Amino acid sequence: MLLDPEFLIVQTLNGLQLSALLFLLSIGLSVVFGLINFINLAHGTLFMLGAYFALSAARAFDSFWLVLLVAPVGVAVVGGLLYLVLLRHMQRADPMKQVLVTFGLIFVGLESVMIVWGPLPHTIDVPALLAGSSSVLGQVYPTYRLFIIALGLAVFLLLYLGLERTRLGAIVRAGVDNRTMVAALGIDIGLVFFLVFCLGCGLAGLAGVVAAPVFSIFPGMDMSVLILALIVVVLGGPGSLKGAGLGSLIIGIADTYGQVLVPELARVTIYALMALILIFKPAGLVPVRSGH
Amino acid sequence: MRERDPIQLPVAGLLAVIAVAAWFGAGYFGQELLAEIAILAIFAMSLDLLVGVAGMVSLGHAGFLALGAYATAGATVFWGWPPAAALAFSVAVAGACALGVGLFAVRLGGVFFIMITLAIGQMFYAYFFKARAFGGDNGMSGTPRFDLSPLGLETGDPAVFSALMLVIAGAVYVALLLLVRSPFGMMLTAIHQNENRLASLGCPVRRYKLAAFGLGGAIAGLAGALMAQHTGFVSPDLAFWTLSGEALIIVILGGSGSLVGAAGGAAVFVMLRDHLSDGSFWEGLRLSGDIATHWQLVMGLFFIAVVLLARDGLYGRLSWLVDRVRSAWRGRGGGA
Repeated sequence: MLLDPEFLIVQTLNGLQLSALLFLLSIGLSVVFGLINFINLAHGTLFMLGAYFALSAARAFDSFWLVLLVAPVGVAVVGGLLYLVLLRHMQRADPMKQVLVTFGLIFVGLESVMIVWGPLPHTIDVPALLAGSSSVLGQVYPTYRLFIIALGLAVFLLLYLGLERTRLGAIVRAGVDNRTMVAALGIDIGLVFFLVFCLGCGLAGLAGVVAAPVFSIFPGMDMSVLILALIVVVLGGPGSLKGAGLGSLIIGIADTYGQVLVPELARVTIYALMALILIFKPAGLVPVRSGH
Repeated sequence: MRERDPIQLPVAGLLAVIAVAAWFGAGYFGQELLAEIAILAIFAMSLDLLVGVAGMVSLGHAGFLALGAYATAGATVFWGWPPAAALAFSVAVAGACALGVGLFAVRLGGVFFIMITLAIGQMFYAYFFKARAFGGDNGMSGTPRFDLSPLGLETGDPAVFSALMLVIAGAVYVALLLLVRSPFGMMLTAIHQNENRLASLGCPVRRYKLAAFGLGGAIAGLAGALMAQHTGFVSPDLAFWTLSGEALIIVILGGSGSLVGAAGGAAVFVMLRDHLSDGSFWEGLRLSGDIATHWQLVMGLFFIAVVLLARDGLYGRLSWLVDRVRSAWRGRGGGA
């Protein structure tokens, strides 16, 4: 089975598609973790919210591209409000409290979604332009899934350029490295952090939007991806863009192949991998922080 | 820090009186709730040993609960062991696994400890979810309860079973209280307060933390075994991380580090969940009974409120109140 090129190509593409979604989802989580050691367990909820916003937006507008723009912005606004009202005050709290407040938010998000959109699963259509199939190395593969891979790659490149080539990016990099020092230089790191937080939330929403036509939209769709995203963050190294990219790639491919080849042990292995990384390489595969 | 803990035993006594009164007053459903509270109290107290006493915040404690539950289910159903032997087996399995996990986990601190325990708890979840021998995601049923027929007791009777659970919960509480007040427990508390100082004084910090982690896991396994007996059913959901999160909320609600607080927190938690998901409760408040379908929303808001507002939990507030009343009493010169 492993040597069958058809199997290899299709599964690798499936893996890359999952990687692209995981990257969009985990990059915000990673940068926030890197900046202030804050784990936002409600990050998966924002992903779910993105999918539901897409559902409503798709009903309101005809254009998928408009949905792709509007829904993530909506999620970013929700994320921003959440930050201003609640999370901002949690920055100095101990990690347990941070984790548990966002844990409570998961339930609030879950029920809010059920109240607004009902408990039953929904689907939305793949946009007409991307509805067909394409040929990849002689294999027929849904065009929409190729679009997800391309989108993940494009966002990675944009973020890379933004982080490496802009002033804001330089401040973020410096902030991950040493937040206090950046603040001491007279830079309003709080504001920068707020913007980064909103962007991360928006990207999680974007992941939800693009995932919506592929998976069904249902209350609880956040749970399955949340832990995978956390694993990506830990694996790649908190605060690292390249790490999030590499981590998404590894987990996306490993989870896809694992589910096919060794379904009994696939997820167990991935969790074990996360534990091992935490023990032996707590800064992840692409560490960003240069010591203390 | 609190030097002495004068209200620990009175509060425990009060809880015991309430439990006994509830037991006499409870109907069939009430007995089921009482048994659930007792078992959850054991689980919460075992987590309090880690979180409140030793300062290790675990988000994977439910993994050991599930291990205990599955060990009991497996030993009784597959091997035909008597429930009591299976219970001992559960404690041993969960304790041994916790020691194995702890060997690595206690090297980490803060948010990284939370993450590694989350990963390991989810590892157990993923395993049980796929384990065909244990019914995979459907779980497995058929775990029998203790056989107390030689004593003339029928554990199938909810009243008998809940009484038994309350007795066991009481015994676990006493054992943990003795442990916390022993030199070993003092060391754990000291490590919680200032790990670096203890390490520099030559204390083998990791060994103490490991012992606490193993012990906490073993007691969680006991709770799991009792849970399997209570419902007669085990499923991977027992290991899911949200259960660990809820247990943490219970500990904070009750007052982290106070043991009896964790037990009280478990009672409040179960009662609250029961009321919030009951339509007639909301109608009694002159609200729509439909809110009950969305009880998790209220619960989530409650969780957030608990974490933000309950600085030292119900127990801590009570302790503060007693202090105030006492000093007011002395101020008036009334006390003898």
